[in-house]
Amino acid sequence: MAEMVTKEKNKLSFKEHVAAAFTKENIAKVIFIIFAAFSILAVFAIIIFMLAESIPAFREIGIIDFLFGSVWNPSSDSYGIFPMILTSLVLTVLSVVIGSVLAVFTAIFIVFYCPKKLKKIYTQMVNLLAGIPSIVYAYFGFEMIKPIIEDLSGRTFGYGILLSTIILSIMILPTIASITKNSLENVPAQYYEGSLALGNTKNQTVFKVMVPAAKNGILAAIILGIGRAVGETMAVQFLLGGSVVYPTDFIISISSLTSKIAQEFGESSGLQRQALIAIGFVLLVIILIINLALWLVKRNNAIAGNSVFTRKIKESDIEHTAPNYKRTGTLQDALRIVSYVIACLVAVALLSIVVYVLVKGLPEITVDNLFGRSTNSNPTLAPAFVTTLYIIVISLVIALPLGIGAAIYLNEYSKRGSKFVNTLRLFIDTLAGVPSILFGLFGYIFFAKMFGGACILAGALTIVLMILPTIIRSTEQSLSEVPDSMREASYALGAGKLRTIFRVVLPQALPGIITAIILSIGRIVGESAALIYTAGSNFLMPNGVLDSGSTFAVFMFQLQSEGLDTKYLAYAAGAVLIIIVLLLNILIMVLENYFKNKAANKKGAIRRFVDKLRKKEVKDAQN
Amino acid sequence: MRKIENFNIQGDVAISVKDMNLYYGTFHALKNINMEFPVRQLTAMIGPSGCGKSTLIKSLNRMNDLIEGCKITGEIKIGDTNIYERKTDLARLRKNVGMVFQRPNPLAMSVYDNIAYGPRTFGVRSKSVLDGIVEQSLRGAAMWEEVKDRLNKSALGLSGGQQQRLCIARSLAVEPQILLMDEPTSALDPISTGKIEELCTELKNRVTIIMVTHNMQQAFRIADKTAYFLLGEMVEMGDTKELWAHPKNKKTDDYINGRFG
Repeated sequence: MAEMVTKEKNKLSFKEHVAAAFTKENIAKVIFIIFAAFSILAVFAIIIFMLAESIPAFREIGIIDFLFGSVWNPSSDSYGIFPMILTSLVLTVLSVVIGSVLAVFTAIFIVFYCPKKLKKIYTQMVNLLAGIPSIVYAYFGFEMIKPIIEDLSGRTFGYGILLSTIILSIMILPTIASITKNSLENVPAQYYEGSLALGNTKNQTVFKVMVPAAKNGILAAIILGIGRAVGETMAVQFLLGGSVVYPTDFIISISSLTSKIAQEFGESSGLQRQALIAIGFVLLVIILIINLALWLVKRNNAIAGNSVFTRKIKESDIEHTAPNYKRTGTLQDALRIVSYVIACLVAVALLSIVVYVLVKGLPEITVDNLFGRSTNSNPTLAPAFVTTLYIIVISLVIALPLGIGAAIYLNEYSKRGSKFVNTLRLFIDTLAGVPSILFGLFGYIFFAKMFGGACILAGALTIVLMILPTIIRSTEQSLSEVPDSMREASYALGAGKLRTIFRVVLPQALPGIITAIILSIGRIVGESAALIYTAGSNFLMPNGVLDSGSTFAVFMFQLQSEGLDTKYLAYAAGAVLIIIVLLLNILIMVLENYFKNKAANKKGAIRRFVDKLRKKEVKDAQN
Repeated sequence: MRKIENFNIQGDVAISVKDMNLYYGTFHALKNINMEFPVRQLTAMIGPSGCGKSTLIKSLNRMNDLIEGCKITGEIKIGDTNIYERKTDLARLRKNVGMVFQRPNPLAMSVYDNIAYGPRTFGVRSKSVLDGIVEQSLRGAAMWEEVKDRLNKSALGLSGGQQQRLCIARSLAVEPQILLMDEPTSALDPISTGKIEELCTELKNRVTIIMVTHNMQQAFRIADKTAYFLLGEMVEMGDTKELWAHPKNKKTDDYINGRFG
């Protein structure tokens, strides 16, 4: 009898247990985990599908012949990519070396030497440089820099590594500069004080203490720059020329891995298309290796001692003579001047790009060119407005919940440093590092085929994968800035975790989420490589989301490649793109100021209160 | 390259402060300070938070220059040099007036490079000379035995107390004439504090030490002279024992007897 009672009790408690497992809180947690794991799924899907589509090419051509063959000639079915591998390597090394030097000095200028009033504007300017779409860089290089190279060198065509290096260095500069800037700003202020107190000049302190202390951050920035340089497609496609030869000259028509894909994929079929996807797979492997390196650098962020001085002091080595103390620091004084000069150069580069594109494009912006009826023979930009808007809305509607959910899991639920979380971060970072041309290929293989051809929906889904890491990171960053005391206050009032997250934490993180949205819009507007094979590239007004359509950047790409009689419209598209990017940047700046002021007002109130208390205390003490 | 000269200090006074006023923007932080710091003695500055003692110590090697809107009138003389003259050489000033901060601030380098950093700044390149300086300075800070086998390891891996003694050794490495210490033990445990106090009593035979401290027992234990600050004014200064036994000012009496602060 007694046994039965216990059994019944057990049964009940089991039921209760099941019921407890399906509470709102637990279901929400599972959903957040699934959202977070989506990035892992995406990376695996990209790897597997790319590999599967490349295998036929590897089989047919042979891996060795493919990787190390010298001839690429689709009409005779020869597909050797070795010259392109070498070209990509040379191009990456050159532009990363030049871009990193420029970027690090630019960051040093911003953090330590820029006059206070100029600092905001200058930082914003570098951000703007990051926001300019590849296709605009391509156009600037093609129209502005190429003729200069032709004049100076006396060659008929200015295509090649020199031209691409110039543009690519400017393109990767903002990425490297902004990360370097962050790590320089994160060097503890005590180092600065400590070094000055030992009699160092400001310049010595900057170059001997602050920059070396930020070296891990700078290294991470450079590796990220390598990733961007390897994966950049649209700009180099216009600037390299397109022949497949070994990189023996700086001014010679040539192809890199990415430029070859962009050049031939649209009109390819059969083995040629498979070979191009196989190039994409090779690129993917390279990118994965770079990401792994980045991950290792980031993980290894403990600051080690300088290993240059490996010897021990032997007592017999010691000379007890009073040294002559002299003034030093000329080298650092010179480096400071270098940072000024480079900062000026960067400003000039940016201004010339913006001014050039606007001067050429603004006159072409007419009501008819913008909103007229678009046909293939007489295109206008009207379809681009509609398509771009479609893609922005669809991809944000999908990516925002996914990204915010993942960020909530990472910041609110996960155990810091657990294996799952580390893996998750590795995959999110990997996804962030995948070049857009690979998203384009994957989107073509996966989404476009799913919908029976390129269409806006396929393009938007491809874009979701691309902007997801930005949204996760930005949201997570602002979630982590919400003080724990707020969460504790909410729990202490009896609120559950979900309520705390949605009522207390998320509203505080709103600035980060809004920034993420604007950054994503910027990326979508400027994107061409990921959309051209997924959303399509025609000039007609789309009929709904299952029809194909071109965004601004894709439009510009098509007009640019198709010939002279439509070029005026490419100029107009370029100007529209620059104006949108400018507006988005201004919007971010305004919002940041708004949120900062809001926070400052709160802080100010607290400080005034504390001051009041203190004054009262002192008065009491005096009496 | 110009040679860096020492300050010409003759007589008993290392630093003299005359009619000094200091403003942070519109806030009058130090009011009409007149005081003299004796040579090769340890002078402690005490007083409640916000009384201006840290501000004063920072103006002795012009670290206040880093703070925006900081304005100073009057004069501060080291030997016969007014350090607030326009042509003042900051490198020379800070080489000869070393500073130890409230929180230990070793640089992100090895122990060896931390010590060698100052001498290298002033053009000492020879390895054997640097080795000598590193050993002497570490011995001077009574930590040679602790770290001689880990000179290549990061200084950031040392304990808090060791880091602070390393910072003292780092200051000693350029042979300063004066050493400023801004609450050097406030972030440390009692044992590390004891070691640093011991070190200070030894060092003051060679270097003039000026120390800001929150801890009145500490001032009583190790300071030759003590100055009491309140609300930006120097209330009273005298021999430590004398000050504790017979404070002239009632405010000082209240403070050291715990009726205030």
